Order: sequence, then C-alpha cells, then structure tokens
Amino acid sequence: MNKSELQRKGAYGVMSVVILVILAFLFMFPLYWIVTGAFKIAKEYNSVTPVWFPTVFTLDNFARLFARRTAPLWELAVPFSALFTADKTPIMLSVGPTVPAAIRWLLNTVFMAVMAMVLTCITASMAGYALAKKRFPGRALLFSLIVCAMALPKQVILIPLIKEISAMGLWDNIWSVIFPTVGWPFGVFLMKQFSEGIPGEILEAARIDGASEWRTFTTIVVDLVKPGIGALAIFTFINSWNDYFLQLIMLGSGNNYTISLGIATLQAETSIDVGILMAGATLAAIPIIAIFLAFQKYFTQGITMGAVKG
Amino acid sequence: MKIKRILAMFLAAFMVASLAACGGQPAAPSSPASTPEASAPGSTPEPAPAAGGSITLWTYPIGNWGQEAEVKKLTDAFTAETGIEVKVEYLAYADGDDKVNAAITGGNAPDLVMEGPERLVANWGVNGHMVDLKDMLDDTDKKEIQESVLASCTAPDGAVYEYPLVMTAHCMAVNLDAFKEAGADQYLNLETRTWTTDDFLKAVDALYAKYGQTVGAVYCAGQGGDQGTRVLINNLYGGTFTDAAHTKYTWDDPKNIQALQKLKEINGIDFDASLAGGDEIAKFYQGILKMAFCWNIAQQKNPNSANGPEGQTQTGEEIAFMSFPSQDGTAKLNGGIWGFGIFDNGDATRIENAKKFIKYMADSAHTVEAVKTANYFPVRSTAEGTDLSGIWADDKTMNDYQILMPFLGDYYQVTKGWAGARTAWWNMLQDVGEGQDIATVVAAGVAEANAAAAG
Amino acid sequence: MREARTAYLFLLPSLIFFVGFVVFPMFICIFYSLTNANMNAKAATEFIGLLNFQKLLSDKTFLEALRNTFVIVLVSVPAVCAFSLWVSSAIYKLSGPVLSAFRCIFYLPVVTGSVAVTVVWKWMYDNYTGILNYVLKGAGLIEKNINWLGDSKYALWCIILILFTTSVGQPIVLYVSALGNVDATQIEAAKVDGATDFQVFWNVKWPQMMPTTLYILVITTINSFQCFALIQLLTSGGSGTNTVMYYIYYTAFKLTEQFGHFGYANAMGVILAIFIGILSAVQFKLAAEK
Repeated sequence: MNKSELQRKGAYGVMSVVILVILAFLFMFPLYWIVTGAFKIAKEYNSVTPVWFPTVFTLDNFARLFARRTAPLWELAVPFSALFTADKTPIMLSVGPTVPAAIRWLLNTVFMAVMAMVLTCITASMAGYALAKKRFPGRALLFSLIVCAMALPKQVILIPLIKEISAMGLWDNIWSVIFPTVGWPFGVFLMKQFSEGIPGEILEAARIDGASEWRTFTTIVVDLVKPGIGALAIFTFINSWNDYFLQLIMLGSGNNYTISLGIATLQAETSIDVGILMAGATLAAIPIIAIFLAFQKYFTQGITMGAVKG
Repeated sequence: MKIKRILAMFLAAFMVASLAACGGQPAAPSSPASTPEASAPGSTPEPAPAAGGSITLWTYPIGNWGQEAEVKKLTDAFTAETGIEVKVEYLAYADGDDKVNAAITGGNAPDLVMEGPERLVANWGVNGHMVDLKDMLDDTDKKEIQESVLASCTAPDGAVYEYPLVMTAHCMAVNLDAFKEAGADQYLNLETRTWTTDDFLKAVDALYAKYGQTVGAVYCAGQGGDQGTRVLINNLYGGTFTDAAHTKYTWDDPKNIQALQKLKEINGIDFDASLAGGDEIAKFYQGILKMAFCWNIAQQKNPNSANGPEGQTQTGEEIAFMSFPSQDGTAKLNGGIWGFGIFDNGDATRIENAKKFIKYMADSAHTVEAVKTANYFPVRSTAEGTDLSGIWADDKTMNDYQILMPFLGDYYQVTKGWAGARTAWWNMLQDVGEGQDIATVVAAGVAEANAAAAG
Repeated sequence: MREARTAYLFLLPSLIFFVGFVVFPMFICIFYSLTNANMNAKAATEFIGLLNFQKLLSDKTFLEALRNTFVIVLVSVPAVCAFSLWVSSAIYKLSGPVLSAFRCIFYLPVVTGSVAVTVVWKWMYDNYTGILNYVLKGAGLIEKNINWLGDSKYALWCIILILFTTSVGQPIVLYVSALGNVDATQIEAAKVDGATDFQVFWNVKWPQMMPTTLYILVITTINSFQCFALIQLLTSGGSGTNTVMYYIYYTAFKLTEQFGHFGYANAMGVILAIFIGILSAVQFKLAAEK
C-alpha cells in the first residue's frame, strides 16, 4: 500500500478500525459478563447499577450450583433392558459415583456432540461421495429431497419424532438427540459438493489398479475431501451442542440433561439467582471455547477450504 | 428359563453394543411389543416382588418440594421402609407442563406427579391419563380431608385423580420498609392483613410520589403465577373469573374491565410483558418493586426460594403479607391445593408402588414431614391417628398466616379449558398493556377461553 | 448396475438416519395434519381432511407467527451476509495475530452457546436493572426505561439482534479466507486499468467469492430457523415475537385442551415445511446457475 493510498483511505480506515474495536468489545461482552459474574458475590451480581469487575472473588456460586442437584457420573445401562424387566427399569451395568449434576451434564453434552459429529462425518462423506460420483436411479429425486429438507426446523416434525423415539424406547436417552442430528441432510449436501471436486481420473486409476470400492473410498476419497470433513465436523459439533430444542423435548430426566438444558432449567427455576446461572453458563461455555481455541487453526482452515471449494 | 433370559439380554446387548455408552433410562417405554427385541425368548414380565421396585416422581417446586436436599430426606426414609426406590425429577413452572405433556405424548409419563387439581384433575385426569384413586379413600379419610378440597380433586364423573396433601391461600406482599418510607403504611392493617381498594390506590399513589417509578407490576410474560393478576383484578371491584358452576369464563364482567382500566391508568402500576410470576417475585426480592402479587406463605418463609432470612428482601427490608385489596376489605382469595396423582402407564406393579408412596406421604405418621417440607397447611385434620392441626403451632408466621385462610374463595381452576384460558388471560393482559381498547381485548380473550371450555 | 448397487451401499448408513428421523416423521406429520389427533387418551383420532389448514388461514396468531418468521429470516440473512462481508474486508489485510484475534472474538458468541448467551442478554434487556437501559439513560438518549422484551415495538428486533450476534462468526471466518484467496494478479490488472476500489470489489472479488456467499446464505438460513431457544427463554412467544416454530411447540404442549391440537400443530409444520422447501429450492437453483 503506498502513501497516497493510505491518505486516501485515511478517514475511512480509522473510522472502520474504531467501529471494529467497539464491535469487538460488544461481542466479547456476554462471555466477559458470564465469566466475571460467576465469581461475583450476591451483592454485586444483583446490584442495580452494574458492577463491572468483581471486587471479591468467590467460588460460592459454583458451590451452590454443585450442591443443588446431584447425579451419578455415568449410568451404563444394558440397551433395551427396560423392555425385559418386570417394572421396566433398565438393568445397569455400571453406575458412577455421585457428582454434581452439572458435571454429568457436561459429560452428556460432550458425548452427544462428539458422537453426532463422528456419525455424521462417516455417513455423510460416504453418501456425499456416492451422490457426486455414482450414477444410480433415484439420484436426482434423492438430491432434491435433501436440498428441500436441509433447512427444515425440527419443530416441524416435533410430534412424530417424539412418538417414534418413544416407540424405540430411546426417549430420555442421549441417543435420542444424536440420531436425529445425524439424520439431518445438510452434511450429505456439503460432502456432495466437496466430492464433486474429486478428479475422475484418480478414481479410474484406482479402479484399474484393482482397488475395491471401499478401499478407494477410505484411501483416496477421504483424503481428498478431508477439508470438507473438517468443516462438517465443526458445523455438526457446534450445532449439536447448541441444539437446545431437540434436547428439550427428548431428555426428560435431570441425569440425562445436557448443559444447555440444565442452564435453561436453572433459569426457569431461579430467575433471581444470577450467580448460580452465571456459574452454570461459565461451565457450559468454557469447555467449548477451550476446544475452539485449541483447534482454532483447524476450525478456520476447515471451514474456509470447505466453502471456497464448495 | 433364567439362563435363556440372560442370554437374550446379552444378545440384545451385543446387537446394539454401541448404544450402551452413557445411556439413560427410558422412563417407561410405551409398549414392549413395538420393538423386535421384546419378542426374544423369556421376555414375559414376571410380577415383581411385593417389596422393592422403583417409581418416578415429577414434582413442581411446591415449597421445598422443589429442593433436592429436602425431598431426598423424605424419599430416602420411604425407601428405607418399603424398599421402593424413588427417582425424583424437579420441574419448573415455566416449562414443567411442556415436559410432562411431551412425556405423555410418547407414553413416557412418570408414575407420580405432584401438583394441583387444575392439572391433575381438569387436564390430565379428565383426558384419561391418570389413575382413579377413589379406592385409597375410605370413610375416615373422607371425614378427615376438607370437603371442598376433596371436591376439587374429584372429576365431574366422580373419579378422584389427585390425593391432596397441602393447601394455602395465595396472597400478595408489600415491602414494609418502603411503605413506611413513602408514608403508605397507614393504609395497611397489619392486624387483619386486609385493605380496601381505596387504600390500595392511595398507597400506590404515595409510593409513586416517593419513588417515581413502577412500584407494582401486572406481570404477563407468560402464565407463570397468573393467580396473582387474576385475584388482583377480580377483587378490586368485585368481578368474577368463572361462573359458580365452573362451566364458563366470566372475566368480561364490567367490574373487571373497570379494574383493568384503573390499573392501566394509575401511575406506579405497570403492565409488564417482560415479567412472569417468578420474575416479579425476584424483582420484589431485589427491592425494585415495592409489592408482589405472586405471593404465599411458602414465599414468606423462604422469599424467592433464596434460602435467605424469613420475611426479608435481599437488602434486609421487611416483607409483610397482605390480603388482596377489595372494596369492603374482604377479598376472595385464590386457593392452592397440591397433592399427588398417578399416571396410568398400564403397569399394575408400578401403580401399586406409587399408591404406597402416596399413602406414606399423605396419610400416615410421616405426613407431618411431607406437609412441613411444602411449607403449606395440611388438607386434613388427622392422618392415621396423627393429629395434623397443630403441626405449625410453634411457628409464628404460619400462625399469623392462618388469618387469611377464611378468605379462601372458590377453587375455580378446575373449569374446563383451563390451560387455554390461562393463555388467553396473559395474552389479553399484554394487549391491555400495549394500550389497546380494554373492552375489546377482554371480550376477545374471554371468547377464546370459552371456546377452549367448549372443547 | 454394479455401480448403482455400490452407490446404494454407500448411501445406506446415511439414508437409514435421514429416512428414519426426517423423511418418515415428515410423512407421519403430513398424515397427522389431516386429522384431529390430540393428547386426550379418550378421544379417537378422526380424519378431517383439510379442515386444519382452513382454520390456520384464519388463525390470527398463526398468521402473525408466520409473518414474524419471515421477518426474522429476511432481515437476519442479508444483514449477517452484509455485516460479515464488511467486517472481513476491513480485517483481512491486518497482520496475522490481530486478524486471528478479531476472527476469534466474532466467533465467541457462536461457541458460547445460545442458551448461555441468552442468559446474559435477558439481563442486558431487563426493564428495571438491565445494562442497556442503564447505559442509554446514562448517555441521556432515553428518559424512561424501555421495556425491551416486554414491548412489541422492540421485542422482535431484540431477538433478531441476539440471533445476529450468534450468526456472524462463521461467515466472517469464511469471507476472510475467501478474500485472501482472491487472485491478486487480477486485482492488479484491474487497478492498472484504472478501476476504483468499488469496481475492483464488484467486478473481480465478488464473483470469485460467489461460492462462499452461497454457502453462507445456506448456513445462515438454517441458523435463522433455529431461534427457538431465544424465543422460549426470553418471551415465550409474547410481545409480538411468536414464530411458527414456537407456535407449533406451544400448540402441541401448552394448548393441550384445544381439540385436535396435535393435528393442528402438524398442519402448521406442513405449511412451514412447504415454505422452507421452496426457499431452499430457490437458493439451490441460484447456486446451480452460478
């Protein structure tokens, strides 16, 4: 950038930087307020005029949050065992030690988001490849179905979904939020767009070398669409983490809540106890932000390459 | 037989091994026949032994029945005596109904639910989801339980869908220190806890003159705590909410319209669509609002469920409970009745166990503890020989509060279409708050409610 | 033939979930929408044809919800796109750490989680103690507290604003890298030809970013339909913030005494699905043309 250009851009440049910095503060503010609020004493978080920074740091909010509800750290049930027992209680393989429910909620949430992510990536990359590179009857129909269903909010199928999941005996089970997430066709759409870019010659060469379809997929295709899988993984992870609605209608008992649902319940129960809410929100936000910062490079790379190629 | 059964289980376990991790418990799968696994050998359920087993209880925050630490004491004692495990879920008023309804939709309703007749009887009971508890009530019980309470727990067809435990009268509360500061305490009669409409309006004027801001909120963000707004508006000029036979809604009564007009125009009272009952209590507890219309004895004893000192706001100001204002000072208060109901999940063993739980909590020597946990008054004089009339004898607040009980009015919450009527009510209040023509929106609201009542 | 079989095998795992948890429930939904199904265990479910749809067309609440849903989507999607494009073009030339810091900051609300963010916004919008009123009053911009979430003049916009802050993170990241990847020689060539900044942007950069823009349009649309949590937790659909998504839930689980409420809720679902299907198809047609 030469000098005259700088001068020409001067006023606009300065102004945009100022606006950007202000916006940056506004975007950071909710998180800042959550985290500082979690450590404030009651007088400060309830103050009518905002207290910008805690004068006394306290862990009392976390203590109250942890004492409020308890849950076993894990409950490994024999799948579908509830269908066999006389009073329809599932048989437990193993039940963990009793811990604050918030810890269990976190564990549930991580398990849910990771499982949804892994399953979506596997099924969507396979399906996307088939849609992009194979010719088969029904292809056009399937693809338009996927496009139309992509943005469909889950509220539309609220009642049938509850009935279906219940009939499968999965209601109030963490898998009841994983399966519908995996079924959402956005992933297939994304992976199809990516797989379009795979050069046909490479696939042809692999075929001539005598590689099986599965081998071609696992060694060549997966490698080529890796950025897409990265983008999809991030998208699914965050979406599943934030999919409050599905969690709300599917998870009935406190032990099986996710952290989002747990906080929403806290808010419904104690609108005054801002301290406990902030502590809960901090617990919910920190792990995912830590994951984000640790994998920041992959986050931005994955999404980016995905979009540019797609 | 047994080995086969275990084998079948293992087979099933392997087939769906991936499902094992972190799995929760489906409360009660709708019907075993709907899944193929159920046809595996040895799946015929054997009747459970008389002792043992497990039940689920979903409870709304009724006094301390919403606090895990307190409820656990009660359920642990019950488990120790009967061997029946109780799994408790705590619901909030904001979304508790939705949760129960979502569960019912999939056939996953809990065994027991603790709430009032408006839900247990008028909604879930009449709609065929609850078990008739008539067989739990013998002649002694019928004598011991207050007649009006039992009537509220009984559906029109005579089925009893709720076994009542506690009751109270909902009232309002004032911030006594703020009233004194504004010179408005002269309008309060702390002996009788009553005041007239004129006194109330003068008090609001005095408070507004002093603080220059909203001192009381007609909250209408949702249905939560709406008994407060209903009773306030009904009593101000003596209007009614339903007819005496509980067949239709009558809040288009000109007296109610007059009350709405008065509340709308007076400075210091605000129709606030950002607050629901719970939020109003919170703002009152913070000392921002100087009066709360969503109040009762449990709140008085543990304001805002914050486990702070009894009868004090967060800043230590004194809270006084009051009856609602009316023209002659004798208001018709709205009652609250709470008790247990059993969802019919088609499993005789679980129903039996749930009945044992009800008997234990609501009609035995342990009823004292169950009632005290709720912070309300017992609905019966004696329970299996244990006298309940004096359980709050050593508690001054509870004794003082007795003075409001004679003002208990009609328990009209069992009118048909209740859930729809509540929705119409808060939507109507929002419209009034937005400045729409009061007579018009009231007429529209009542029409909607009566449409719900007609089914 | 062999190719088709392989394709089906590759599609199978995905299809099991897609058909099982989206397509099949959608068909049931259509079926229910033609009945008076409800929660009442005693009432039989009857086929009532298109009656539910007829009723919906004259249901004021539904029409308002439908309108709000469109307002949310039609406002937030372009706003998110335009805003993220502006932010990206302002930051993409900044040095590495600064750029990365900005990117992270704008991404924060996304990863904080919508429920956690909602808790803070509820407090910020509070009528009595909210920071927004505090600041505006302090700055002398307003005289009386504004009841942000309790006033139908503001409530919907307040919700759109939260939705906006939780939506721009991803688009900014995408645009930053898309701008970085624009062919530099073409820009130089254009400048040599005497093109203004705007012309460079419009004729060179914008066409190259088209795929990114379309991807952003799709994900932002998906996001905008996910505003359920905000509405349930902040206004319960009151103060003129009802959306079809919330009204479906409300009809299904709150208005349980309304006769045939399940059928009615499903009919709303069908209407919403039709609108969204059309919207997606149009978006995709555009994508295919470019």
